[in-house]
Amino acid sequence: MLRHRIGRMRNAFALFAIGVLLSACTPPGGGRYFGKTVAPTDNVLRYVSGSEPETLDPHVSSGQPEARVYMALYEGLVEYGPKDLQPIPAIAQSWEISADVDEFVFHLRDNAKFSDGTPITANDFVYSFRRGFAPATISSSTELGFFIKYAEGFNTGQVFVRKGDSFLLARDFKGEEKLGSTIGPESAFHTFQHSPTRLMLDGDEKKRAKQLDADPKLKAAVDGAEFVPVKGEDIGVEAIDDHTLRITLRQSAPFFVGLLAHQFFRVVPRQAIDKWGKDWTKPKNIVSSGPFRLKEHRPYDALVLEKDPNYWDAANVHLDGIALYPIEENSTILNLYKAGSIDAFLNHSVVTSWIGEVKNYKDEYLNFPEGSTAYYSMNIRKAPFDNVKVRKAFAMAVDRVALSNFRIITKPLYDITPAGIFPAYDKAREKISEEVRKERGVPPEEWAKNNKFDADGARKMLTDAGFPVEKSGDGFVCPTFPTDTVSLMFNTNESNKSVAEFVQAQWKQNLGVTVPLKSQEFKTFLKDRHEVNYTGFAQSLWSGDYMDPYTFISLHYGYPNNGDSGFNDPKFNKMLDDANAELDATKRFEMLARAEFYLMEQQPSVPLTTNATNWMKKPYVKGMYPNPGTLLPWKFVYIERDPAKWDTDVENILSHSDPQVDKQLQDLMSTQKAAAK
Amino acid sequence: MLSFILRRLLVIIPMALVVVTLTWGLIRVAPGNFYTAEKKLPPAVEATIRKKYGLDKPWYTQYGIMMSNIIRGDFGDSLKYQGQSVNEIIWRHLPYSATIGILGYLLALLLGLSAGTVAALRQNSSFDYGSMGLAMLGLSIPNFVLGPLFVLIFSFWFYLLPPARWNGISSLILPVCTLAGIYAAYIARLTRAGMLEVMRSDYIRTARAKGLSDWSVLLRHAIRGGLIPVVSFTGPALAALLAGTVVVEKVFAIPGLGNVFIQAVFNRDEPLILGVVAFLSIMIMVFNLIVDVTYGFLDPRIRYE
Repeated sequence: MLRHRIGRMRNAFALFAIGVLLSACTPPGGGRYFGKTVAPTDNVLRYVSGSEPETLDPHVSSGQPEARVYMALYEGLVEYGPKDLQPIPAIAQSWEISADVDEFVFHLRDNAKFSDGTPITANDFVYSFRRGFAPATISSSTELGFFIKYAEGFNTGQVFVRKGDSFLLARDFKGEEKLGSTIGPESAFHTFQHSPTRLMLDGDEKKRAKQLDADPKLKAAVDGAEFVPVKGEDIGVEAIDDHTLRITLRQSAPFFVGLLAHQFFRVVPRQAIDKWGKDWTKPKNIVSSGPFRLKEHRPYDALVLEKDPNYWDAANVHLDGIALYPIEENSTILNLYKAGSIDAFLNHSVVTSWIGEVKNYKDEYLNFPEGSTAYYSMNIRKAPFDNVKVRKAFAMAVDRVALSNFRIITKPLYDITPAGIFPAYDKAREKISEEVRKERGVPPEEWAKNNKFDADGARKMLTDAGFPVEKSGDGFVCPTFPTDTVSLMFNTNESNKSVAEFVQAQWKQNLGVTVPLKSQEFKTFLKDRHEVNYTGFAQSLWSGDYMDPYTFISLHYGYPNNGDSGFNDPKFNKMLDDANAELDATKRFEMLARAEFYLMEQQPSVPLTTNATNWMKKPYVKGMYPNPGTLLPWKFVYIERDPAKWDTDVENILSHSDPQVDKQLQDLMSTQKAAAK
Repeated sequence: MLSFILRRLLVIIPMALVVVTLTWGLIRVAPGNFYTAEKKLPPAVEATIRKKYGLDKPWYTQYGIMMSNIIRGDFGDSLKYQGQSVNEIIWRHLPYSATIGILGYLLALLLGLSAGTVAALRQNSSFDYGSMGLAMLGLSIPNFVLGPLFVLIFSFWFYLLPPARWNGISSLILPVCTLAGIYAAYIARLTRAGMLEVMRSDYIRTARAKGLSDWSVLLRHAIRGGLIPVVSFTGPALAALLAGTVVVEKVFAIPGLGNVFIQAVFNRDEPLILGVVAFLSIMIMVFNLIVDVTYGFLDPRIRYE
């Protein structure tokens, strides 16, 4: 039996090798383009969108594959700009911002309609925001909106404390509060929003009792008081009239308008949700608010959308429809693309073994830096990684340039925030780095090594930390390092494994430490990582939620946080709060850069790579850009039938001008520009 | 015979419930939850979810509720795909898997039976060696190699067939052939072995001695006996094919049940997993029963007690 099996395996291997050889010999599609390249005749874009969307309710899912579907079906106050993801007017034609960037007034256009013809008003947005935060909606994106006053209290079921006629105030227990600036007309609701923040306590009785026991002053003050749940009506969103919406924040958030393009803030139809309940997203019931509406949904096969004639800007929607195919198998996606059965596909989808071939197709392959980073979190609460020198040593011992070359398309990453995505922030970071260097009087050539790959430095650092690294033959050994208690944990996946093996080899080579690898099924892995239930390293990947470095730096803000390192530092939290209160954009970035520098000195993670977009589109698909989130505002996309006007040399696609897209963008922006004047 | 069938049918329900219970236990032991995602949920939101889905109740209460619902045939709604019931999902995706599964198996039967029979009748001929060599090859090539190989040849060298997706009859050819490949190989080998044994048995010698022609010996006597191994293979094979073949469905992007099932496991979508498992176990038991009944027709020596 055993022999039989071995024989079979040998056969299988031989054939597999033949298969691989055969595919390697494939002719490169015959010329300039990758496979069949003929524009579809019916003006319907065929796009592979990744996993099957878990729901068509934009409030519920926070996924990126879903985001692309929601961007076609729903619209919010603003939309992502096609090239840079900066906010552009959508249902709001313009907006005003208060002096402290903590209050916003949006002017809605009067011709916006749902797909059933019902006009979209400011009240629909108030409803949508309240619904999104309602605990019963079970949204996984609510944290993004916690900047809105009382939204966190409402979403997490907290209570106000009423004593007699008045409510206890947060400032009496949690320190000074500076009231922000206001904008727009006065109203009773606005007065409430603009009063000192009410104290909020946990809604759960047991947890509240614990909270009170820990603070005798609070306990005494609460004695005999009444607990009033925070309601949806309390959150800082107000319809001033049918076409004017005001949003009040609990703190300054200079990136807030950009955040509003996120799916969580898009408008949903109250009329359909009230009528159908959880069935409102079924194809026969669904009502949408975006440029496209649902035509047909065949789960795991296709989600077919068609242009919505009720959409306010239907004249500028160029496609008649979009067919979204939920396919996750990367080689299948590439096959379909090569056969000309699809026109474009989602990011991260060209398998590594094909990148070498595909990147020769200069008119189609889109490889741009992405707003997402890969890094290894370290559990800073468990020895030996509770020692910052150990953490530094392991971070310094990884040659990121070699790693990126090995991964072909990624870029080396040394910090929390990826480089190349936020140019102004990159500058601020350089400036702060130089300032710190001068403060510390370190010569430039030595400073250049700071935070970078430095094998000698890493060995010295680890030795200093009490784990002497010794030379042994051609390599090194570190006999005292407890390798049996640490591991590098990642979720089972070929590419994760190859990165882990690469980094493992680097540590072995440069520090003489062989960290055992631990591959886990995704959800098992996530549970351990979220609970910081590991010793050593846990693989992490973070995609920014909005176009501001804060989306990365805040990974380690507060506790629990998404950094999953066990990092919790009040000083760091305060640095971020202070930065966000700064209204001057340049200064704010510098303050954030300071905070990031401070964070990196604690080294809660080993930054590895900035990821790449890595997707393809046929040259006849225009108005579709490799922005840092691969979030595509579909109304800019069109199919060009004249081959002379097809996209060429897409390496420079972001600087190429497309008169049609430029004009469309200008027209949209004009309303906001006029209002700003 | 009737009582045999009835008795077996009665066992199916409790057996399926046992399988469901074991599966439920396994899902509960697996770490992580359907709502576990890259981003952490605020604890209060998590508490809301646990309350909504009854996960805050003791495990025996949860088990009781789950079982009583399942006994009534109600598997509830998928946890991942909001507003879609498990029954709806299974019935929606079954036809895709069943179509390629049944077509694939029919093709495999056609190829396997004829090759196996001819090989047995012409034992040690070049056809025998050739076809059995091919069968060995078929057994050795996994679907995830055969599928892409077909795609390479028929979609990219000859531009004859679409490389993936469910889109008209032409899109069925490659997945069906891929599925048929491995099964045809099995069937050919089983048929050959079965036929060789039968052809040497006493009753065939008797039939020949009576002066029957080669054809009637083969068709009236030999084939029935020679088919028994193939029939016993068919039961579980068909059930597995109906439930979807994950690899082929992935490679060819077919929206079948196998794909859905695998995703359900990754998503920890408990009701959906239980639904598919219950459905699958019932199918396997029903097919096995059919197989057992078929034996009686093929071989008069088999009796049902």
